[in-house]
Order: sequence, then structure tokens, then C-alpha cells
Amino acid sequence: MAEIVINNLRYRYPETARLALDGISCEIHQGEFIGIIGRNGAGKSTLSQAMLGLVPNFYHGAYGGSVTVDGINVKEDTVDDLCQKVGLVFQNPFNQVTGSKLTVYDEIAYGLENFGVAPDEMRRRIDSAMELLDISQLKDRAPYDLSGGQMQRMALAGIIVMEPEVIVMDEPTSQLDPQGSEEVFRAVSALKDEGKTIIMVEHKIEKIAAYSDRVMLLDDGKLVAMGTPKAVFSRDDLAEHGVVAPTYTQICRKLGIRDREGFYPVTLEETRSLLESDMKGGLAG
Amino acid sequence: MKSISLYEEKHSFLNGLSPETKLLYVIVAIAVPVILGGRIPFFAFIAMSITLLAGSGVLRNTKTIVAVSGFILITVVIIQTFFRGGTFTELFRIGPLVARKEGFEYSLGIVLNVLNIIFCFCVFVLTTKPSDMMQEMVKHGISPRLGYVFVSLFQIIPQMTEHTSTITDAQRSRGMETEGSLATRIKAFLPLISPVIMNSFTDTRERSIALEVRGFSSTSKKSFLEDFVPSSADSGMRIALIVLFCASVAFTVLRVMGVIAWLR
Repeated sequence: MAEIVINNLRYRYPETARLALDGISCEIHQGEFIGIIGRNGAGKSTLSQAMLGLVPNFYHGAYGGSVTVDGINVKEDTVDDLCQKVGLVFQNPFNQVTGSKLTVYDEIAYGLENFGVAPDEMRRRIDSAMELLDISQLKDRAPYDLSGGQMQRMALAGIIVMEPEVIVMDEPTSQLDPQGSEEVFRAVSALKDEGKTIIMVEHKIEKIAAYSDRVMLLDDGKLVAMGTPKAVFSRDDLAEHGVVAPTYTQICRKLGIRDREGFYPVTLEETRSLLESDMKGGLAG
Repeated sequence: MKSISLYEEKHSFLNGLSPETKLLYVIVAIAVPVILGGRIPFFAFIAMSITLLAGSGVLRNTKTIVAVSGFILITVVIIQTFFRGGTFTELFRIGPLVARKEGFEYSLGIVLNVLNIIFCFCVFVLTTKPSDMMQEMVKHGISPRLGYVFVSLFQIIPQMTEHTSTITDAQRSRGMETEGSLATRIKAFLPLISPVIMNSFTDTRERSIALEVRGFSSTSKKSFLEDFVPSSADSGMRIALIVLFCASVAFTVLRVMGVIAWLR
């Protein structure tokens, strides 16, 4: 069953003339990892915020079409209600620290306190989230004293303790160093293994290629393509849409290495297995 | 990161008392000497507050507060002693200036009152964790939004200060003079403050969304991870304070009625 259904979504920010989202329709299934890519201003962040109803309920502006999560039309629902179904993580970890808590543990509890979750249940959820994201050792530290990667994982923990079915991340690693972003991606793949639906806006194309089940390519508010990473990155018009294919895809494109479906591989692993099977085929033939 | 909160966790007797009890102490310490009149109750409460602060190991934290207010208090004493109007009894003379007994006594009253208020507030502020204070306030019906604003300041202001110093460093590394005469400082201020302010505007939007998605405006009843558990002495202290307050009222009433004499 489709968890998120977007139907001909159009949106324009207040006091702007251009549509930020222009006729987007798609279905996202439970447990999928969706990567959203596209150039700056393509509408990626707007789309991710539309999934929580922040667009249009927080920003206002002109809105058409619909987004339903689990059968609920997000426009008709409140953010309070939806944030227990859909979690949102931003790019700047600093802005996600509440500033009202003195320890990481308390900070993660913030959302749960707002919804009146019982203390024992809170502890259970926080402990398991911290373990999942590998930040248990930080629980008594001050939130602002953490490194970027640690802080972002804390922000993620603060969202996942609320046990949303869908987690939307808007460039969660863009302000982190390579180590920090690797930490976040490891955490995200742990979440995926738990069966969460993950929607991630990201510029790190190699990561998107490696982790996504499907990729959405946006440009100028329109959904240009949605499909497996191989299918999307094998398109000939990527450059027109301001996207660069992963390194292995570029190499294989130059060398003309394609799989049976005619797509170029997107990761080292895929390239290697393709080459190995080719060689075996070659030897056999 | 440096916190601007004056609170320090010392696991002391005062740390173990609930914020309400300490607030009650503040009220009693201010009200009782006024109700009783005379100077002895002031001295008693100042001594009491100092003992409590020393017992909690935070007496030295009052140094700055006392020093700043002490400076103002000294000027009050000087002005009142030498320039108070009305009839006066001469204490001593410095050149043309006459020290007046009435003025001195009047200023002494002010000094005692102010010191008493400062010390009893220190008892409350220096030994109460801001988040415990907020939690109590929210439990007693204060809006959680207001509580958030109050508590987050303790961390957000130092964070902004840090941010400002990063920008100052960046501007300085590009050759801008940020230190020197007043004129230089004012010139350096504009390019410094605009990124700080613009950044805070954009950050505020993201920050408010980040809070919203964690149920900031949720209307459900809040719960608290760490329920503050006051020490066993808490309720005893509270009763003692109420008894003291009632006793002082009763005493004053009886004195006014002429039943007992109050030694001054």
C-alpha cells in the first residue's frame, strides 16, 4: 500500500510569481528510501516540507492538489498531529537544538514531553534511539558542545523517538564533514533496516545512488523523473537539469558498460559485479 | 560552551529543595522583617541567607552581585548621611559637610533591606536549575511557550555571543580594524552586526519549524522526563517558613494591640 500519495501538487510561496512546485504526482511506499535530487531552487526543500503540511500551513501561499500520508490529507491536519507520523530533519544541526535542555538525553526527550509520554516509556524510546544512532555515550553532554555529526544524530534521535513512520531529511549532511556525514548515513541505513520510510533531499549524489530505492529528479518545480537510481542516472538529459551522475555511471557511460536493461551502473559494487559477470561471460563464450 | 546561568550543581541542601520552597523563603525573608519592624530581623535573615549560601558552597558567586550593589549602596549612605533634609543631630563634621544621624540611620535601613533582598534572591537563583524552575512554572499553569523563552535564553544568548565572535574573527582576518578608538569600533560594528542579524532571521524560521515538528504547539498535557524530587527536608522547611510568617504576623498584631512589648 502506498504510504504517501502526492496528487498534482502545485504550490506558490506568498508574494512570488513562480510556482515552487508544479504538478507533482507520485506514490511512495512503506519502507522505501527515496532520494530527492535537483539543482538549487528546483523545489526539493519545498516538496519535503509539503509532506508535513508545513507547505502550505506554516508558510501559507497558493496551494493546489493534495498530499496524503496514510490516508490523511496533510493540508487538513495540524503539524502537531502529523509530526507523530512524519518526522523532519534539517540541514543545520544548530537550529534543531531546542536550547532549553542541558543534556543530550533531555534534549532528545523534548518532543516526547510535549506529547505527554510517560517517563518510563520516554526512557525506553530514548535509550533505543540512542543505541540505534550510536550516541549512547553522549547522553550527559551539553547539546551545543557536540560535533556537527553528533549534533545531527542527536536531532535525528529527537525525531525518531516520536516513532514516525516516515522520516523526511532536508540535506541532513550538507553542513557536515565527511566523517560526520558518514555517521549520519550509517544511522539512516539503520533506520531503513527498521522499516522506516525515508525521504532524503541530498546533493551527495554517490550517497543517493548507493542508498536510495528510488530517486526523484526535480527541476523548476516539476518532477522530471522518478525511478531506480540506475534508471534516473542513466538518462541523457541529466546535465540539462543541473545534476551530475555518480562517478561510476560517468565512467561506464564513457566505456559503454551497460547492464541487461540498458542502464549504467551507479556504484562501485554494481560496476564490479557487472564487469565480473561480463568477464565470466567472456570466458564462457 | 559557557552558560550564562548562575546555577551550579553542588548536590547541596538548597539544591535538594523544590523551587517553590525557595521562592517561599524569598517571600518570607522579605516580608517578615518588614512586618516585624526594627533592624534585628533584617540582620537575622541576612545571616540566615549567608549561612545557607555558604552551606551550599555558592557564597563566592554572590561576590559580583554584592560588589556592584555595594557600590550603589555606599553612595546612598554618603548622600543620605550628609545631605538628608530636615532637623538633624550632628554626628561629626568633615570641613563644611555635616554627618547627620537621622540620614545615616535612614540609609542603614535601605542598605539592610537591599542586602536582605539580594541575599535571599541569591539563595533562590544560585541553587535552582533554570529547567527545574520552568518545569515548576509550567506545572502551575504558566504557558510552556513562555517557559521555553525563559529557559532557552540561558543557552541561546551564549551561542549568539560565540557566533558574533566567529564573525568578528572572520572580519578581522580580512583586515578590518575591530579594536581601537570608539570611532573604529563603531565603524567595525555595522559589517559585524548585519550578518548576525540576518542570520538570526533566517535561523529563526528554521528553528521555529524544528520546534513545531517536535510538538512545540501541542495542546496535549505535557509530561516531564525528570520529575524533580525534593529532599525529605522540603516539606518541613515549607511548614517552618509558613509558621514563621504566621508567627511574625501574630506577634505584630499582638504588639500593636499592646499585649506584648517589642524591644527596639
